[in-house]
Amino acid sequence: MTLTAGCDVGSLTAKAVIMRDGRIIGAQVVKSRAKPEISAKEAMAGALTAARVALEDVAACVGTGYGREKIPFVKEVVSEIACHAKGAKWLVSSARTVIDIGGQDCKAMRIDEHGEVIKFITNDKCASGTGRFLDVMARVLGISVDELGRLSAGAKQPVTLASTCTVWAQADVIKYLNSGIAVADIGAGINIAMANRVAILANSVKAEHDVCMTGGVAKNNGVVQTLAQLLGRRITVPRKADPQLAGAIGAAIIAGQL
Amino acid sequence: MSKAMLEIFYDAAEKVNSAAINAWKAQGKKIVGNTCSYVPAEIFHAAGILPVRLRGIETDNMAVGDTYFGPYICSFPKCILQLAGEGRFAFLDGAVITPGCDAMRRLDECWRKAGEDIPGIVPPFFYYFDVPHKTAPHGLDWFKEEIRRLIQAVEQHFHLSITHEALRASIRQYNQGRRLLKQLEDLRATPEAGITGADAFAVAVAGTVLPREEYNSRLAELLQVLEQNLPAVADGKKRLLTMGSISDDMDLIRLIEGHPKALVVAENLCFGVRYEGPELEENGDPVAAMAQGYLGKSTCPRMYGKYQERLDILKQTIARAKVEGVILQNIRFCDLHGSENSLFQRDLEAMGIPCLKIEREYGPLTEKGRIKMRLDAFLRQL
Repeated sequence: MTLTAGCDVGSLTAKAVIMRDGRIIGAQVVKSRAKPEISAKEAMAGALTAARVALEDVAACVGTGYGREKIPFVKEVVSEIACHAKGAKWLVSSARTVIDIGGQDCKAMRIDEHGEVIKFITNDKCASGTGRFLDVMARVLGISVDELGRLSAGAKQPVTLASTCTVWAQADVIKYLNSGIAVADIGAGINIAMANRVAILANSVKAEHDVCMTGGVAKNNGVVQTLAQLLGRRITVPRKADPQLAGAIGAAIIAGQL
Repeated sequence: MSKAMLEIFYDAAEKVNSAAINAWKAQGKKIVGNTCSYVPAEIFHAAGILPVRLRGIETDNMAVGDTYFGPYICSFPKCILQLAGEGRFAFLDGAVITPGCDAMRRLDECWRKAGEDIPGIVPPFFYYFDVPHKTAPHGLDWFKEEIRRLIQAVEQHFHLSITHEALRASIRQYNQGRRLLKQLEDLRATPEAGITGADAFAVAVAGTVLPREEYNSRLAELLQVLEQNLPAVADGKKRLLTMGSISDDMDLIRLIEGHPKALVVAENLCFGVRYEGPELEENGDPVAAMAQGYLGKSTCPRMYGKYQERLDILKQTIARAKVEGVILQNIRFCDLHGSENSLFQRDLEAMGIPCLKIEREYGPLTEKGRIKMRLDAFLRQL
């Protein structure tokens, strides 16, 4: 009964997962604070409480995410690309392509049958195509990110956001709002713009079946459906656990291999 | 490897106003900057002028650079213009601009235009040196003519004479440096090498700034020490090669080698062995020797029809240095290396050599976090 843990401190949220013999027994997602060590401690405390175990009971913990170097209780730190690949493989065992959209980056990976990365690419132009893009747009529309995801279903004529820059796209959204266009059409346009950006990365790694999507944006059905259309492939969104936990799950799995 | 021995190389590689430049100016001697590997350093050496490669290190903002270049263009010439605009190149008596690429060609126009608004930033000798894109006989003839015109312009501006004998002596001096640098490259390629990628890169970059005689003697001393079987630095690390757009960024190499399992064992950049080029013919017409050496044997992606040759050189380097992974970096908006890196990635991966492609800005390494994330994943992949 080996306990392992993974802690993924991202730019928007920090996630912790406790696993026992390959099964999740506790998990927690918290908003990231200015200091990654505080975010990590908060997330881990929540996960430990949920699992009803103490940190001392955990055999090994692996840290990942942008704040990984600052997490005090980890045995090793591993790039989030490797962790997301492992996590996605655990979430969807048939996955060979993983699209992960985090708060400040977007990754597309092709993985092998063991969840090892074969090829990967991350966005390096700007913030559009990341969770932050949806965050900014939801705030402009005055709705939650979850609500934004649901808007696509009710859209009649989605707007086109010409610019791929988050700030200019935001200006476009405000212009559409001011001219009285339905929020659902604007929201659908935002989800399409997001999917367009992500499709570029997925195409760059030559996406193969099965395509799995992780990260918080996997919960946005509008983006997932548009992306599936653009790629011409069905996209599997994990149901085994919260797709946002993929990095932390992968970290906990790697901790078990140390 | 003693820090004291490397200090002069790091100082020259990482400071605009290096000790060597200050010492040279203190003697009342002239300095001419150039922007590309096509400008024969021997011309200036033969004239008693210090040729230095202009770089954009130590920039901390882009207020001048962005004003004249605009946002959607390579940050390397912008950083040079930024330093010029801030008066950081006050030590220059001249500058030679070449069309290494279109962005570098524009430096000529942008620097002149900025000089209209910021008085005193254009060096007194400001020269545009054209370079053909082909090594066909007519291209070489044209380049010889450009070299003759440059010699004439230097003679006229600085009131001196550059004899063929002096040029041949300078070619011999530069050839010595080329041989020494090649020795260092060969030594680095061995698993027993006692020098890190960062240290070797500092030595290579310093060669574009230090007075040649001093560089040659310091490099020869360094090689003597390295040949005394220093402890190997490889120690089970993954052997990497860096290549692509212009990069004299020591922080990038430090970032790579900051990973406990990474060692940079070779480069294919326009600094180091490729910048120095092959040895020049020491006898006969020095102009023809410089044209042949600097253009005829150039393996830079700006030259037409050289991809296969570059790929072959790369394959040889990979085999010689037992490279396990290649880092293809390019500066954002770099057409030459941006497109070529994709071809290299395709061809190298087909040969089973893993590649990591990184697009970045020239200047202070502000994207450390994102680059590190990709490096870590790449090293794990290896």
